[in-house]
Amino acid sequence: MKTKLKCRVISKGVAEGEAIVSRQPIGFNFCVDVDTGVYTEHHHELENASIKGKVLVFPHGKGSTGGPYVVYQLAKNKTGPIAIINVLTEAIIAVGAIMGEIPVVDSLEKDPFDVIEDGDYVRVDAINGFVEIEKRNKS
Amino acid sequence: MNLSDREKKMLDEGNGEPVRKAMEILVALGKIYDAEDMVPIRSAHIAGLSLKSHGDAGLEWVENMAAENARVQVPTTLNVIGVDRSRDLGLPEDWCRKQKRIGWAYERMGCFGSSTCVPYYCGYIPRLKEHIAWAESSAVVFTNSYLGARDNREGGPSALAAALTGCTPRYGLHLDENRKGKLLVKVTEPMTCLADFGALGAYVGKRVGTDIPVFSGIERMAIEDHVYLGAALASSGAVALYHVLGITPETLFEKSVLADRYETVEFGNREKQIGKEQLTSGVDRSVDYVAIGCPHCSLRQLSQLAELLAGKKIHKNVTLWIHTNVAIKGMAMQLGYREAIEQSGAVLTQDLCTILSCPEELGFKNIVTNSAKMAFYAPGTGKFNVWYGNVEECIEAAVSGKWKL
Repeated sequence: MKTKLKCRVISKGVAEGEAIVSRQPIGFNFCVDVDTGVYTEHHHELENASIKGKVLVFPHGKGSTGGPYVVYQLAKNKTGPIAIINVLTEAIIAVGAIMGEIPVVDSLEKDPFDVIEDGDYVRVDAINGFVEIEKRNKS
Repeated sequence: MNLSDREKKMLDEGNGEPVRKAMEILVALGKIYDAEDMVPIRSAHIAGLSLKSHGDAGLEWVENMAAENARVQVPTTLNVIGVDRSRDLGLPEDWCRKQKRIGWAYERMGCFGSSTCVPYYCGYIPRLKEHIAWAESSAVVFTNSYLGARDNREGGPSALAAALTGCTPRYGLHLDENRKGKLLVKVTEPMTCLADFGALGAYVGKRVGTDIPVFSGIERMAIEDHVYLGAALASSGAVALYHVLGITPETLFEKSVLADRYETVEFGNREKQIGKEQLTSGVDRSVDYVAIGCPHCSLRQLSQLAELLAGKKIHKNVTLWIHTNVAIKGMAMQLGYREAIEQSGAVLTQDLCTILSCPEELGFKNIVTNSAKMAFYAPGTGKFNVWYGNVEECIEAAVSGKWKL
């Protein structure tokens, strides 16, 4: 079953892939290994998880304002998320994603944490302003 | 968005490609946040200059901008970096060379190579209600809260974009109505040192996210207390502004700095312990690295360190780096503080910060610090085990080589 939800476009583009969900905010500078895409923040729910090639779902950015350069590096190195879904995007994430051409959307019709789980297949259309979620059974 | 003729011209390549790109970023931000127009800025501060943040991709990006003759339009300071430009600290040569190239590219665009996270100590001091575009999360929160300037949490590139165009979209904290707090924090525990203020910031930052906390119950705060509270709030959360009732400027003339509806939490002894535990990841009590000065030390902190270190010797297994900027180091040299500090075996660095540099390359594992911001980032970025405490405890560990039992 597919769910289609309207959203606001922050950074333009289209991408689809497997979702990884963090209920905690995410900081990029000093918190992600730019060579591997592994999240390294201590005590964080994504500690040691890879965000490479994933549709990354989190409430909003936080922390260091060097973040945009790291988002840009991840995009250039192809070690970062292929798309981002936020509850409300803050400027650090927005600027890095615009520079690195990573599609970003926020303000979905429904709370993303109610409709998206780890492993779901998600299409982010940050041109027309919608996301499509396909449930995947966890094996 | 309403753009002036001057701003429209910038967007249409009338002022060259870097300015067009800069305007494109600012207009995109303005549209996202429903800004009605642009607001002229009086100064900018650019962060994210470490090679760790820029990488080769960012280095190429900024060198291209500089090669296209981009020039900043307002006084623009540069943030702390990953090398000390005055001495060899044993960091890898290739790292130092690339790190310096990043700084030179920004300097070619007319930025001041101040290399500090505390440009408000010496560099540029924004006024109350002055609109600015500063990055460096700890400096953003300081200018908004302590000085009452108007600044959003700019990332490095958007601060540069604002510097190149002289404007930033009018949204967020540039609008008075968005500067009210939704969380009242009643501080019932005495705040006696920077590490206490760091614990307060770490505890509240994690809970408040992007909101504005309002603190009550604090009777007095030194300028350094604000710097360390703000840095902790902005690293564990995304805080860009806090108020302290009776202390920060807006609480002195606004009818209320609290929104009509707000929540209340208490910060007592239990919460202080939780804040400190959040910042501790140490297991092994043998210490090999002690870092003080995140954000960069003030002259007062250096004078205190000179007194604490007088007549002491740092343990042979320990490296103690104390971070400040070139201006404050210059004063410390004149006043004899540096001599007192370095006779103990400690190193007073300029320009640099542990987190932005690559001390893990020097083989350090167990770090001791009095900075909540450093304690927050060190485990992730350098794979350090961290012990967190006040400056006296840090110096004790540097001398004994052990974190207290």
